[in-house]
Amino acid sequence: MGREMEPLLLAWSYFRRRKFQLCADLCTQMLEKSPYDQEPDPELPVSQAAWILKARALTEMVYVDEIDVYQEGIAEMMLDENAIAQVPRPGTSLKLPGTNQTGGPSQAVRPVTQAGRPITGFLRPSTQSGRPGTMEQAIRTPRTAYTARPITSSSGRFVRLGTASMLTNPDGPFINLSRLNLTKYAQKPKLAKALFEYIFHHENDVKTALDLAALSTEHSQYKDWWWKVQIGKCYYRLGMYREAEKQFKSALKQQEMVDTFLYLAKVYISLDQPVTALNLFKQGLDKFPGEVTLLCGIARIYEEMNDMSSAAEYYKEVLKQDNTHVEAIACIGSNHFYSDQPEIALRFYRRLLQMGVYNCQLFNNLGLCCFYAQQYDMTLTSFERALSLAENEEEIADVWYNLGHVAVGIGDMNLAHQCFRLALVNNNNHAEAYNNLAVLEMRKGHLEQARALLQTASSLAPHLYEPHFNFATVSDKIGDLQRSYVAAKKSEAAFPDHVDTQHLIKQLKQHFAML
Amino acid sequence: MAEVKSMFREVLPKQGQLSVEDVTTMVLCKPKLLPLKSLTLEKLEKMQQAAQDTIRKQEMAEKEKQQITH
Repeated sequence: MGREMEPLLLAWSYFRRRKFQLCADLCTQMLEKSPYDQEPDPELPVSQAAWILKARALTEMVYVDEIDVYQEGIAEMMLDENAIAQVPRPGTSLKLPGTNQTGGPSQAVRPVTQAGRPITGFLRPSTQSGRPGTMEQAIRTPRTAYTARPITSSSGRFVRLGTASMLTNPDGPFINLSRLNLTKYAQKPKLAKALFEYIFHHENDVKTALDLAALSTEHSQYKDWWWKVQIGKCYYRLGMYREAEKQFKSALKQQEMVDTFLYLAKVYISLDQPVTALNLFKQGLDKFPGEVTLLCGIARIYEEMNDMSSAAEYYKEVLKQDNTHVEAIACIGSNHFYSDQPEIALRFYRRLLQMGVYNCQLFNNLGLCCFYAQQYDMTLTSFERALSLAENEEEIADVWYNLGHVAVGIGDMNLAHQCFRLALVNNNNHAEAYNNLAVLEMRKGHLEQARALLQTASSLAPHLYEPHFNFATVSDKIGDLQRSYVAAKKSEAAFPDHVDTQHLIKQLKQHFAML
Repeated sequence: MAEVKSMFREVLPKQGQLSVEDVTTMVLCKPKLLPLKSLTLEKLEKMQQAAQDTIRKQEMAEKEKQQITH
């Protein structure tokens, strides 16, 4: 190569090619060479440029779209005082799923999550944050496959990521925030924006970020909508939703942006006002017709409110605009599967495969769809591939669990038994597998084992009605009416419309009346 | 064969009510479609995993150092 490239240009090139670590390293070298003390010297434009570039590279490394970030700690959930009505009317709250179940399949067909919602076809950071009713449930709800819920959102994932990056850097953090003279930076708008993003995304120091944003917006004489949105983001992270709402609204008055609509809607969702959020999205659609993110936002809210038919409608609308939208395809697919149309679901999942999605979940779904659409040749190969692509034990457990259903379907009870056992080996907390295993044990006549398994299942997942109902049936058969009644009551609480449970309770009441 | 046939004759009631006893059976949990993960979630999990790994490595390195000095 002979002569070396100009380092700043090379660093820029790394940045554009998204090789952020290389870019940051190169910038560090440049900053070491030139005189540099914490802040860039205005006399040395090159070092200033390197400084900004390094900040941007470090930011990009940990950047996640703030719109998708939605994290609730236990404290926020249990001590939530933002919701306006504690006992909201049906259809106006995200807290009461199942109040207006229209169009969707019942719980007897479509499994539910811990929060009592039908399981969705797509997982976002916010999908699992359904509000649990009790503290115990809140502690138990897993957020992702890996981690438990943090105590508050300010001790959550982001702070942990920040500490990790600090630990790995032997010279301490790149910018020492406590020594920054924020007023000085606020007067240089270009620098301030990069610095803000660095503080917000990389350091996760929301309070300092808010200070900088406040000074900057003052410097721009409250004319820059961008700073208002940033202040709103900070307020949102700090849990000051009403203040955030004001900032976003003011920003919208100055300049209508899709992002701002989305942030504002996020505020309303946190305030548990889905209807306001829906109206806002519709306003946004007037300004930006056919905008996919807005349409998708509407669909998500309908889905969370259990209004599956409206959700599907909007997901279809999304697909009209963008026919490669993974979330929409996955949600419509799962909707079809659970409304007894596996053939159509299969088409949607095949489309995802064509688009290049290649993971355990997709192959598992393809396998299930193939089996229920009676395309037996593809079923087992899909599941095999799902097993080989699984990234952790929970995923393997789920695949084995579904394979167990295939085995039940073809009547091979031994295989089914082994499949459910394997699911339990991989994930000892798989409540559904416990329940199904108990049903198989009952068929063999192993009463005590079945009861033990059912008890485990119902303590692991009190939101499922199946273990409660099965336990009630078994207890009823052996004459343990009291336990049967207790379990049946629990089953009724989990699934009020279940006819068999109602039947059983009625029978038991008659028995008690006779005594 | 003919004898057996005469012994058991099927009875199909032409009139009156046909009643079937409804036996409650145990229910299986339903098959579970696995939700796909969004890009953001995948990136978050990857970052978290990477962060945990680096911390663990560092801790291991520090432990080794301490053992050497002792």
